[in-house]
Amino acid sequence: MARYEFRLPDIGEGLAEAEVAKWLVSVGDRVREDQPVVEMMTDKASVELPSPGAGVVLERFAEEGDVVKTGAVLYVLETEATIGGAAAEPRAPASSQRPAEAAVAPEASGVLAPPAVRKLAREMGIDLAAVKGSGPGGRISTDDLKRHGSKGAPHSTQGGRRIPLRGVQKRMAETMALSARTIPHVTGFHELDAGAFADLAARLRREAEGEGRRFPFDTLLVRAAAIALRSHPIFNSSLDEERGEIVMHDDVNIGVATATPSGLIVPVVRKADGMDLSALAAAVDRVTSAAREGRASVADLQGGTFTISNTGAWRGGFGTSLIKPPEVAIVAFGMIEQQAAVREGKVVARPVMPMSVTFDHRIIDGEEGLKFALTLRGLIEDPHQLGE
Amino acid sequence: MVAGDQSDPADVLIIGGGPAGYVAALRAAQLGRAVTLVERGRIGGVCLNEGCIPSKRLARFAAVKASAEKQVPAGMPVFSTAPDMAAFQQSRARAISTLVKGVSSLLEAAGVKVIAGSARFVGRTRVCVEIAEERVRYFDFKDVVIASGCQPDGMKGLPFDGERVVEPGRALEWDFLPDSLLVAGGDYIAVEIAVAYARLGSRVSLAAAGDRLLPDFDPDLSAAAHRGARAEGVEVFLSSDAAAMAEKAERVVVSAGGRPNLEHLDLQTIGMSPPAGPFTVDPQLRLDRHVFAIGDITAGLALAHRAMMQGRIVGDVLGGKAAAFDARAIPRAVFAEPEIAAVGMTEAEAHAQGIEVSVGKFPMAALGRAVLESATAGFAKLIFAKEGGALVGAHLAGPRATELVAEMALAVEMGATAEDIALTVHAHPTFAESLMEAAEVSLGRPIHIRPKR
Repeated sequence: MARYEFRLPDIGEGLAEAEVAKWLVSVGDRVREDQPVVEMMTDKASVELPSPGAGVVLERFAEEGDVVKTGAVLYVLETEATIGGAAAEPRAPASSQRPAEAAVAPEASGVLAPPAVRKLAREMGIDLAAVKGSGPGGRISTDDLKRHGSKGAPHSTQGGRRIPLRGVQKRMAETMALSARTIPHVTGFHELDAGAFADLAARLRREAEGEGRRFPFDTLLVRAAAIALRSHPIFNSSLDEERGEIVMHDDVNIGVATATPSGLIVPVVRKADGMDLSALAAAVDRVTSAAREGRASVADLQGGTFTISNTGAWRGGFGTSLIKPPEVAIVAFGMIEQQAAVREGKVVARPVMPMSVTFDHRIIDGEEGLKFALTLRGLIEDPHQLGE
Repeated sequence: MVAGDQSDPADVLIIGGGPAGYVAALRAAQLGRAVTLVERGRIGGVCLNEGCIPSKRLARFAAVKASAEKQVPAGMPVFSTAPDMAAFQQSRARAISTLVKGVSSLLEAAGVKVIAGSARFVGRTRVCVEIAEERVRYFDFKDVVIASGCQPDGMKGLPFDGERVVEPGRALEWDFLPDSLLVAGGDYIAVEIAVAYARLGSRVSLAAAGDRLLPDFDPDLSAAAHRGARAEGVEVFLSSDAAAMAEKAERVVVSAGGRPNLEHLDLQTIGMSPPAGPFTVDPQLRLDRHVFAIGDITAGLALAHRAMMQGRIVGDVLGGKAAAFDARAIPRAVFAEPEIAAVGMTEAEAHAQGIEVSVGKFPMAALGRAVLESATAGFAKLIFAKEGGALVGAHLAGPRATELVAEMALAVEMGATAEDIALTVHAHPTFAESLMEAAEVSLGRPIHIRPKR
């Protein structure tokens, strides 16, 4: 018998932490080698971690919803054979096996919190042991409690059904709050004549399907964005606030906002500017399908430099969007609809596509925003470049 | 009358009208519960009628005599006279009566129904109260709070006889001064009674079984109490057999702790067996879903202020609040010479829990106020956790120590650090400065004593 501590491996590119989405086994369960033990949620992908060997689960060191640092012990397995060639380590004191957050205050004084704070914690249904105190020696204040409470305390005295904020939803909450808090957003609305564009998209789809390939509608929008970004590189940048620098990205990695059963996910088409049209269509199809089916890899979800959002399928019109930090812009497209337009002095019906260009006004000004929109307009209203 | 006949509904029934029970009644009533309180003796319980209150009256009476005789500033004439114990006892009875009436009127104003009688359980949700011989009443309760308190325990070889060998409460009612008095015991009650009667003029022997007085206090406080008692003329015997010394004394007071008043309650009826010692309760002070226990029958310090806080908490719980009894600092006050007070952990208790501490001790002899009042016995000893720096215990001996401990209790509850206390301005010249100074000592930078070399 040997004791094996399963530590959270790096499941993304240098990922520092991941959230326990779901335990697939209980303490005391016997597991086979490669049997999935726990589902971890990283950034926006979920990953099942298989058991490295056969054995019995002795202890679990995190609850569902806990964020665990890479390298921290997730669970302990009692195995028949030694795993990974290394002899089983002697059992370390319990304290050193726990994730860092679990450090316990001295038993006698318990958690350092004044009586009024302890009372409030009871009323809010918060376990003080889980609250980080900001005062000297970790003393917990009412403000600390409120901060903790707003992070989504599991229960309170308020009525109604309560759903813990986890996984994709939690990421969305955090990312969007950060975006709204830090980025001064400016959005410009533009009506595009999308007649030729719609024709092109329909033709390309027919051709592709004739060859047994798929051709997502978003392919042409990604391509338009990729071309426009090359001539407006500031839209393909990030702001490094700490160093006061603008980072101009070499690669054009375009995220495609995708609705999935578990929530909004933005899979990324890497180097979208360097692919021919059929490769691009395949890439868009692959990442969005993977996201919808909940099997996107961590790599699929990281490294985006710009985002597009197509709301046409839901008859969307104009809309303001929130930029996904650390990106600096996002473009949203609405549904193409016949509208009255004036052409050469006559009112005619034309297919019109609403386009909303949102940018970070800290580093992009109104003129640049308009010029970028103009470039996109040119590419879409006269789409010959897109189809090449 | 057969159980099951006429009964009165009692939303909340409280058994015992001492500091735990009456406070619980007032708070539960405040929060809208209909409360019935059953008390077999007098409202206020032991504390008000035969404990804290009369003992402090006696201590004060004795201290006035002591200060008139011994602590008189130079230039002030000294007088000495035998105290009139009968007059004292009349005034004591009046004072207690005033306080009992005060509590009773609060209960009345709160709409609490007070029933004089002895309660016992006759069903899962029913008690029978014997009001007088042959006269009983039944109450059906939703929630019941047991706050029946303790009664003094006797000592082996020294049974109470109601006359010569008595419990502490009786010794507070003497309208005479015994020539010789043996106090059997070494706890705070024994020390208080010994010092008071010695000051009043009795020849007092204090016979403790243990190797120090106040055995559950910091050893430095035990030593201070010992020195102080001797200075007041008390002859102190440690590791002694009081029973063997009792014969020669005119009167004997036995202070040997208490045992819970539970036998008469018929707890088996509600599916509970009386524990061997005190009850262990959860933070909501529950024994069972609708059964609560508070006061001296629960495990912990048998002190009125703890009982009163438990009463408030149980009242909150009964009123539907998210309350819990989680006090970390329960002060203890000994009204002897010098006054002794403590809150939180001793050094030894901290060590036992694996808490590394830094200690600051400041002698009264270095304090201006103490010198000008010729009251230099005593010290302030503060214990801080090394990690985080929070105060975990305070041990005080000296004038007003029983008042100063309140600041220390607040400091423990607030998690105040040595810096917090050291940087809080304390009025000069007061005894409270000793606390600030002791905090400075713990930080290694005392102003008014020389640093250790």
